[in-house]
Amino acid sequence: MTTHRSSLFARIVRRVAIVLMLGAASLITAAWLYARTAADEAYDRLLLGAAFQMSESLTVADGALRFVLPPSAFELLGLAQRDRIFYRVIDPAGSTLTGYADLEPKAPLSQSRNGPVFGNTEYRGAAVRTVTLSRAMTLNDGTGWSYVVVAQTVEARQALASELTTRATFLVAVMSLLALGGTALAVRYSLRPVDVLGDALRQRDPQDLTPMSADVPRELIPFMTSINHFINRLDERVKLLQRYVADSAHQIRTPLTALTAQVSLINEDNLTPDDRRHLERVRNRTAELARFTNQLLNHAMVIHRFDSSQLAAVSLNDVARKAFRTAIPITVDPDMVVSFEAAEDDPVIMGDMLSLREAIANVIDNALRHGASSRLEVRVTRDGGYGRVEVSDDGPGIPAQEWGNVTKRFYSTRSGKGASGLGFAIASEVASVLGGRIGFREKAEGQDFCVFIEVPLAAEERV
Amino acid sequence: MRILLVEDTIDVGEAICRRFQLTGHTVDWETDGSAAADILSFTEYDLVILDVMLPGLDGFSILRALRQSKSNVPVLVLTARSEIDDRVGALDLGADDYLVKPFDFRELEARARVLLRRRTGGDATNIIVCGDVSLDRANRSVKVGKREIQLKRREMTLLEILASRPGKVFSKEELLDQLFGFEEAAGPNAIELYIGRLRKKLERAKARIVTLRGVGYQLVADDNA
Amino acid sequence: MRLLLRSLAIFLWLLPSAAAAIEGQRAFFPSNGKETERLTIHAATDLEAMRPLIRDFQELRPGVAVDFVDYVTNDLFRQAVDACAGKSRSADILLSSSVDQLVRLANDGCAEAHTSRETSAAPAWANWRDEIFGFTFEPVVFVYDRRALPAAEVPRSHEELADLLRREPEEFRNRIGTYDIEASGVGYLLAFNDSRQAPTTYGRLLESLSRTKTVTRCCNNEVLGEIAAGNVRLAYNVLGSYAYAAAKANPDLGIVVPGDYTLVLSRGAMIPSNARKPALGKQFLDYLLSSRGRAVAREYSFFFSESGPLPAGVDGPASLMESGIARPIRIGPALLAAQDEIQRRSFIEDWKRLIEGR
Repeated sequence: MTTHRSSLFARIVRRVAIVLMLGAASLITAAWLYARTAADEAYDRLLLGAAFQMSESLTVADGALRFVLPPSAFELLGLAQRDRIFYRVIDPAGSTLTGYADLEPKAPLSQSRNGPVFGNTEYRGAAVRTVTLSRAMTLNDGTGWSYVVVAQTVEARQALASELTTRATFLVAVMSLLALGGTALAVRYSLRPVDVLGDALRQRDPQDLTPMSADVPRELIPFMTSINHFINRLDERVKLLQRYVADSAHQIRTPLTALTAQVSLINEDNLTPDDRRHLERVRNRTAELARFTNQLLNHAMVIHRFDSSQLAAVSLNDVARKAFRTAIPITVDPDMVVSFEAAEDDPVIMGDMLSLREAIANVIDNALRHGASSRLEVRVTRDGGYGRVEVSDDGPGIPAQEWGNVTKRFYSTRSGKGASGLGFAIASEVASVLGGRIGFREKAEGQDFCVFIEVPLAAEERV
Repeated sequence: MRILLVEDTIDVGEAICRRFQLTGHTVDWETDGSAAADILSFTEYDLVILDVMLPGLDGFSILRALRQSKSNVPVLVLTARSEIDDRVGALDLGADDYLVKPFDFRELEARARVLLRRRTGGDATNIIVCGDVSLDRANRSVKVGKREIQLKRREMTLLEILASRPGKVFSKEELLDQLFGFEEAAGPNAIELYIGRLRKKLERAKARIVTLRGVGYQLVADDNA
Repeated sequence: MRLLLRSLAIFLWLLPSAAAAIEGQRAFFPSNGKETERLTIHAATDLEAMRPLIRDFQELRPGVAVDFVDYVTNDLFRQAVDACAGKSRSADILLSSSVDQLVRLANDGCAEAHTSRETSAAPAWANWRDEIFGFTFEPVVFVYDRRALPAAEVPRSHEELADLLRREPEEFRNRIGTYDIEASGVGYLLAFNDSRQAPTTYGRLLESLSRTKTVTRCCNNEVLGEIAAGNVRLAYNVLGSYAYAAAKANPDLGIVVPGDYTLVLSRGAMIPSNARKPALGKQFLDYLLSSRGRAVAREYSFFFSESGPLPAGVDGPASLMESGIARPIRIGPALLAAQDEIQRRSFIEDWKRLIEGR
């Protein structure tokens, strides 16, 4: 998948993954904060409990302060097995009664007069959590505040917090993966109509210019509407073009016909031999012009037909006979033997009657004009999965090295006179649109040169 | 013969009129579609040559109206449209033949002749068979085996005469009379020319034309010989 | 660091018998092969018990010479505090029966952690922070003189001992021996734990002991010596290993594992944080905790083990731990309470007031 053409699926999944990752990151951060708070709360209770026990052990006897350290306080703190414990008991005079004299909580001791004060500080190179408790004591020299400071290293808290965080992380990761997997499935499911639409477009006959009618979700409707709009415009364009060709055909043909008509009216008897020769040339050129014009317009018409018309089952015998009738003028040279032979079992092919007729007619016309000297035969046959129309003549034929070229538009053979114009080009284009081809067979002993058009039989015809 | 030409292009109409008049036909020329339709409704013609694109009423409408009124006058349609559908449409609507502009005037004359003769040629419907040569007089088509052979009018007539009685010897004079009548001046060489052409076109048939020198010609089926 | 030093200085100043120079009893074990390394052990445990272990360790590590310095527990502690503060040379490993002192050292950051296959096998009660490990299993027993005390009269529990002394205070005047808890860290630890374990019984026992003018001695061996000499009939709170060693030598000595509860002391081993050869110290620690080290200890040094039966001739249940009377002194922060200076001072003062009648 390149960066330029990432799929919709990948884009959505990537974005969801980013959102999930951000979400997971914030959840894990929240879990970490929560875990720290929870661990602090849990162990703060132990710390506070131990401090209370110590504070309770401060007693006044005979006006003097007495203190007996309760081992149970240490047992309580010992529940955090790996943590070190520091403590300090301060008498109302401010001197350390027992414990670590240099243990100083961050907040001033007096703050604890309103209640226990927790704090974090560093002691002997280790991070510790401290709690400060105060107690008012009445001694001989008046009432004063004594303080108990208990500190504990934070290993157990950190261990608990990291364990909680690890579990939360695991859960979040599992949930994120599930969400991502679910998203992927959901996206795949949701994008299925896009695939369906894509398939419909891909499998569509390129000549089919009718609007699409796939059942698509709401989001895809504008998309399909645009496609249909485009198809519609294309259809209009094609029709416009066809109309244009038809109109121009009319516009060109009418004066051309008038020209031939007028030329045919010239009375040759009154002309000098030179003029007669000129007239003959004008006549020939006019005929040539007429033929080319016909071919050109037919070519345009045939090609555009395939832009819009649907194929239908066509009898090859039928279409070939019609082409034969069209192409052989009544005024054909009487010495020319022209025959047509239909196939016994009529091959049915998928095609367009008019285009195919035009194609065959062009091949026959070409044979008549440039090939046949006294014989021209048109034969319809069936060859395997193909229907075939053969046009053979007793002329010299086209040399094999020219076969590839004569189907090109306006290609002239080297001999010069055999300008085939568009005839073979039309035949070749029609044949290839129908999945067939135009082919040649060399002149041989007892066999005339032959040009044939091969088109695959309709599906139900092929056994 | 009386021909109605409906053509709005003056240059073309003029030429067609002239050519048909030269061969002795009467040509009425109309340039407007509705006028032509009017004339057709009360005048009998032997042939109608009809352009498609017309002012007033187009050629197809005229043709449709003509056939709806049960007239079976031969109609030859001229079209300048590239839509080949026009031709098909014309045939479907009851035209007998069509030509796409620009056309060769000799071709137009030839086709017109075929249509005129079909009208006068009577109603021979039977099929004559000799050897593997079969002649359909209605369609005026000839088959050698499976091959349809394109024959010219006189070749067809000649074959029709010979095949009507296979084995019978026809003299040159007999054939000249039946083939050309008295209107055209044609020498006996003309018969030899047509016999030659016909022989060539029946080359691979199982029937052949035998020349009996100084007597005449006969058509013989090979399986009979 | 200055804070640390100051706190230690205050701590030292508060100790009841702070001494300027701390002298121990030295012993040197030359290496079996060419000496490549020298292990310095500071111990508060008697040399004779350690000798088989050190020798066996040297079998494994022929290149190691061992410099062994024996202190009384309080001296060892002071020396270790000095060493932790950088005032004197630190040992590579400390061994002490007074584990509360080791706990205090570890709590103050003077210990280095060590984990290995051997340390993970140590029971939870004998491991704190992977810094202090208990490497012995020593029940605290009564030792009596068979010649002077008829079998019927031998007390089988703390209660019975208290009753016995209460019944016949004159009979046992000056005939009961125990630790001087002021002089002996172990004695203090055991007494402190007795008071915690059964406060009522302890109170009665202490009262009885005071009536009989109990003889107090600094060390186990001295107490045992008094029995052997016939001066004392029964010694209370004697470490099982010393008692058994003495009983082996003197069949007149009887050993009772008290049936109500039996304190179990595990001698502690600790790698000081500024040991010069901590790796070597750790190797020795691993050896002590290994099954080979424990086997040697059971055979030659301390005679008791957590899993094995009581040694022959000791009066008590077959398996101490399974019988449920064993009360191992858990190596952990609770021992810090015993190390509190006020606690210690007032406890010892109370004790002295009763025992010595001062």
